[in-house]
Amino acid sequence: MSVWNYAVTAHKPTNVTHSCVGYFTGSQELNLIIAKCTRIEIHLLTPQGLQPLLDVPIYGRIATLELFRPRGEAQDLLFIATERYKFCVLQWDPEASEVITRAMGDVSDRIGRPTDNGQIGIIDPDCRLIGLHLYDGLFKVIPFDNKGQLKEAFNIRLEELQVLDIKFLYGCSRPTIVVLYQDNKDARHVKTYEVALKEKDFIEGPWSQNNLDNGADLLIPVPPPLCGVLIIGEETIVYCSASSFKAIPIKPSITRAYGRVDADGSRYLLGDYAGLLHLLVIIHEKDKVTGLKIELLGETSVSSTISYLDNAVVYVGSSYGDSQLIKLNLHPDSKGSYVEVLEKYVNLGPIVDFCVVDLERQGQGQVVTCSGAYKDGSLRIVRNGIGINEQASVELQGIKGMWSLRASSDDPFDTFLVVSFISETRILAMNLEDELEETEIDGFCSDVQTLVCHDAVHNQLVQVTSSSVRLVSSISRELRHEWHAPSGYSINVATANATQILLATGGGHLVYFEIGDGLLIETKHAQLEYDVSCLDLNPIGEDVNHSQLAVVGMWTDITVRIFSLPDLNLLTKENLGGEIIPRSVLLCSFEGVSYLLCALGDGHLLNFLLNMSTGELTDRKKVSLGTQPITLRTFSSKNTTHVFAASDRPTVIYSSNKKLLYSNVNLKEVSHMCPFNSAAFPDSLAIAREGELTIGTIDDIQKLHIRTIPLGEHARRICHQEHTRTFAICSLKYNQSNSEETEMHFIRLLDDQTFEFISTYPLDQYEYGCSIISCSFSDDPNVYYCIGTAYVMPEENEPTKGRILVFMVEDQKLQLVAEKETKGAVYSLNSFNGKLLTAINQKIQLFKWTTRDVGTTHELIPECGHHGHILALYVQTRGDFIVVGDLMKSISLLMYKNEEGAIEERARDYNANWMSAVEILDDDVYLGAENNFNLFTVRKNSEGATDEERSRLEVVGEYHLGEFVNRFRHGSLVMRLPDSDVGQIPTVIFGTVNGVIGVIASLPHDQYIFLEKLQLNLRKVIKGVGGLSHEQWRSFYNEKKTADAKSFLDGDLIESFLDLSRARMDEISKAMSVSVEELMKRVEELTRLH
Amino acid sequence: MGSMLGDLPSYDPHNFSLLRPSDPSNPSKMTPITYHPTHDRTLPPPNQVITSEARNILLRHIYQRAEDKLRPKRAASENLTPEHGSKHPKAMGNSDGPQF
Repeated sequence: MSVWNYAVTAHKPTNVTHSCVGYFTGSQELNLIIAKCTRIEIHLLTPQGLQPLLDVPIYGRIATLELFRPRGEAQDLLFIATERYKFCVLQWDPEASEVITRAMGDVSDRIGRPTDNGQIGIIDPDCRLIGLHLYDGLFKVIPFDNKGQLKEAFNIRLEELQVLDIKFLYGCSRPTIVVLYQDNKDARHVKTYEVALKEKDFIEGPWSQNNLDNGADLLIPVPPPLCGVLIIGEETIVYCSASSFKAIPIKPSITRAYGRVDADGSRYLLGDYAGLLHLLVIIHEKDKVTGLKIELLGETSVSSTISYLDNAVVYVGSSYGDSQLIKLNLHPDSKGSYVEVLEKYVNLGPIVDFCVVDLERQGQGQVVTCSGAYKDGSLRIVRNGIGINEQASVELQGIKGMWSLRASSDDPFDTFLVVSFISETRILAMNLEDELEETEIDGFCSDVQTLVCHDAVHNQLVQVTSSSVRLVSSISRELRHEWHAPSGYSINVATANATQILLATGGGHLVYFEIGDGLLIETKHAQLEYDVSCLDLNPIGEDVNHSQLAVVGMWTDITVRIFSLPDLNLLTKENLGGEIIPRSVLLCSFEGVSYLLCALGDGHLLNFLLNMSTGELTDRKKVSLGTQPITLRTFSSKNTTHVFAASDRPTVIYSSNKKLLYSNVNLKEVSHMCPFNSAAFPDSLAIAREGELTIGTIDDIQKLHIRTIPLGEHARRICHQEHTRTFAICSLKYNQSNSEETEMHFIRLLDDQTFEFISTYPLDQYEYGCSIISCSFSDDPNVYYCIGTAYVMPEENEPTKGRILVFMVEDQKLQLVAEKETKGAVYSLNSFNGKLLTAINQKIQLFKWTTRDVGTTHELIPECGHHGHILALYVQTRGDFIVVGDLMKSISLLMYKNEEGAIEERARDYNANWMSAVEILDDDVYLGAENNFNLFTVRKNSEGATDEERSRLEVVGEYHLGEFVNRFRHGSLVMRLPDSDVGQIPTVIFGTVNGVIGVIASLPHDQYIFLEKLQLNLRKVIKGVGGLSHEQWRSFYNEKKTADAKSFLDGDLIESFLDLSRARMDEISKAMSVSVEELMKRVEELTRLH
Repeated sequence: MGSMLGDLPSYDPHNFSLLRPSDPSNPSKMTPITYHPTHDRTLPPPNQVITSEARNILLRHIYQRAEDKLRPKRAASENLTPEHGSKHPKAMGNSDGPQF
């Protein structure tokens, strides 16, 4: 039963909604602060560019973000108001490096109609009050006292009911607002009011201006000495003050964002809906405004916010495309643009639709999203884990070990690849044609298995086999010295670096060598109680060729031991616990922190912090990487060292912000890996897997990889067809020719490898693509693309006409094979019992695919249907069951009766949820997302005693996600292994307007209970920034009700356990009576769901 | 036109001076640390937990008017020759404290 769900973010929001610039983290530190709906990001301006400092989750959707500085403060304070009527004032404490809360509160009113045009929050430039417009007809004031402390808030009645914008005017002796509003005849005006704090009322302001541009939508207050306000319309821009009025006409456009350039307010950047950036200049003689001037600077992403930073560099935040860092050049480039893009910041929002596909056919899901809007529309291919880009491969069975060797000590590249098998060792080398061919190193013993090889100082190579250690010249390739194991003893395990060798023979003998010029010096011998299972002396201290420490893993007592070198003194003995022996140990250093990694025979990995001088091991952590023994090796990528854990679930271990992270490698099983940095294949890895030796380069080391396919038009629906290896999308393109603006809708066919348009079918005028699937029908072997459309006529409230188009892909072309007119918009299509199930306006309609005439052509014939919806927007099916998400009537369950050829309603949820997506979790539980950013689950009650009970879908889960979900899809971003714990957990992926990709995982009940307890404890330890409550944030919330979250867990909070300090983890561990190690392991496993 | 973009503000001339434009096809990937406060100062001082005035606007208006009406009378009982109190009831407001 999929009732117990875990909601977690795989890709954080990237839609930039607000930005501001000020001195937040220090009086000398200029910051850019960005809001991405539920998170704020604090950046520092530096000579190198923007330096990200902190990503701050906010328990609310940010409605307002403003920096301000009350008198007497050395730094700016940050004011944040959330859509659920909470606000907070944040301050950075530079000493503690913490965000502290100066003030917070609730500004909701019990009654009041929420504003239609969004919430407004503004701060008086002289810091006398904060003004909020949250409900029609009310202006809320939070006054400051003369010490900068906030006082009780109160409402003032605002006569204007349709407010478009409110700003504070500069330079007024009493705080004064300017209100842009629309009257009941749709005319737009501005009006000013003074706020009388003592009387808690408005006083008529100094001026007003009637009958503005009908598209006036934005006010820009102008600072002293000019003061007054700019009113930005669609056809005019007006400057207005008590004494002056200036207007200029502009080319028709909708301004989305503005950024002030100069402190005196004489220049502004304006960004419009088409991504054009203009400079608006107020021409003035001293304090008198004499005119306005506007110039086109160039093109950016469609901006939602613009912040001038410093030295001609500007941040452009975008909701519809990638955000950008741009530079304004003094002179235009060859295309006449003054804009130079310096950096881009990926934004997946708005994700309107997506599909989950396995393009590489490796059992690894990839998400392909329809992202962005207008000209910034794109497809994004989002893939979890690290890919290997294969350069060459050969079939080789039974590889037992691999090492790369250089031809001389100072050669920057590797030449040889030593591959060891059970009874032989083969040496591959790059030949002159850059091909790998077999070669020989005379001094090496090639008819036995090699235990280890390494480059050594003085142009030497080391080979250790079960009987001897050989030191060979890398120049002459001849043997220079050999050490033989005493008779009766064979070498079991060995490790080496450039100057040292450590090996263990049967009977627990540990032998340590130092490497001289042509000489192996047996420096020390130690006798241990038990046999050695693995060892390592990777140098991570100051000397890159020589290690002060060695680590040894033991059979029998299951310990790892740290020895000092060269004396082989035991420094530390750590009991691993359990019965699984260590199979691979590695000393390594990430971001200057030393670790001991220890892999067990059952796929678990332990890591410890290692004290380099005392050998002490602390902060033990355990994670599960796979189910088979792991082999650990280091490798370098982009000048950083990472660790490759070869096993049935290959993983790269790396470090970010001094925290170890584990990223899946997108290969099924890897038995051995070694770095192979040859001249022909620089920075490559040699990988042994499934009877194959592969040489390949590795992706950037990060969790999610995003590839962008810019379309220049807005993709709204996407579908993949495995059979033809194509994608089909419904898209629209805006054409701007002269003043006439038109949009064209298309069905496009794309190659699933190159993502090029290979065929296009233009839709009719006014015809929108609404739905798309790939399917086949009963008694017809062909695979088709079916597209549902709607004719959206300007004069109609709802479409009354649409089409179903059936295409076949022939010779890479879309061939229309059937077409059916419908009496409304085809919102949804599903392949259903070999037929086509459609949702057309308020009706669910089933079509069968029948042969016409002599059997060459087909047509869609209506079979049966079901009425009773407002608009049936989202449909999912399972067997004969049909789950419908309605525009405003929540979820209903229908059933198709094959014999009777009828569709009947079985049950419905009687709540009035306005749906945005639905999905079937299992036979009985259905998941819904609605337009107040909530998720909920309902359950079919087939065992109900009465008809009434059976006809009601019971709400079993409720949760405030804080994101607008456009689509759910079954699938997984990670490679699922059937025998791993998380492999059993069913998951649904969702995509949202803010560019979030998230996962809903249905957990077993006992795991849910355990994690619920952990969440409860985490709430006590991890505080909400600004004093906002996590419990309130996650409570289901709409206009009608607020209810505590149930049957959903916040994976983002739970996984932040891994970011806590050890002391805080201990606190939680104590409260839960579960060891930190166990908690970490269980949470780490969850992170592997996404 | 060049003059329009001339003389752009510079707060610290070093800012962005070493920035090299990155390959536009390779978006910036720097990710900041996620902040999880565990300290107690996420809660503001008790007097800075702000609430809205409970009294509804209409009631506030009525009470305000009632007070305004009352005030001159009281003032009159103590001071028989009020100068212009009744003409500016609002301006007197709470600042006229000593009279109560």
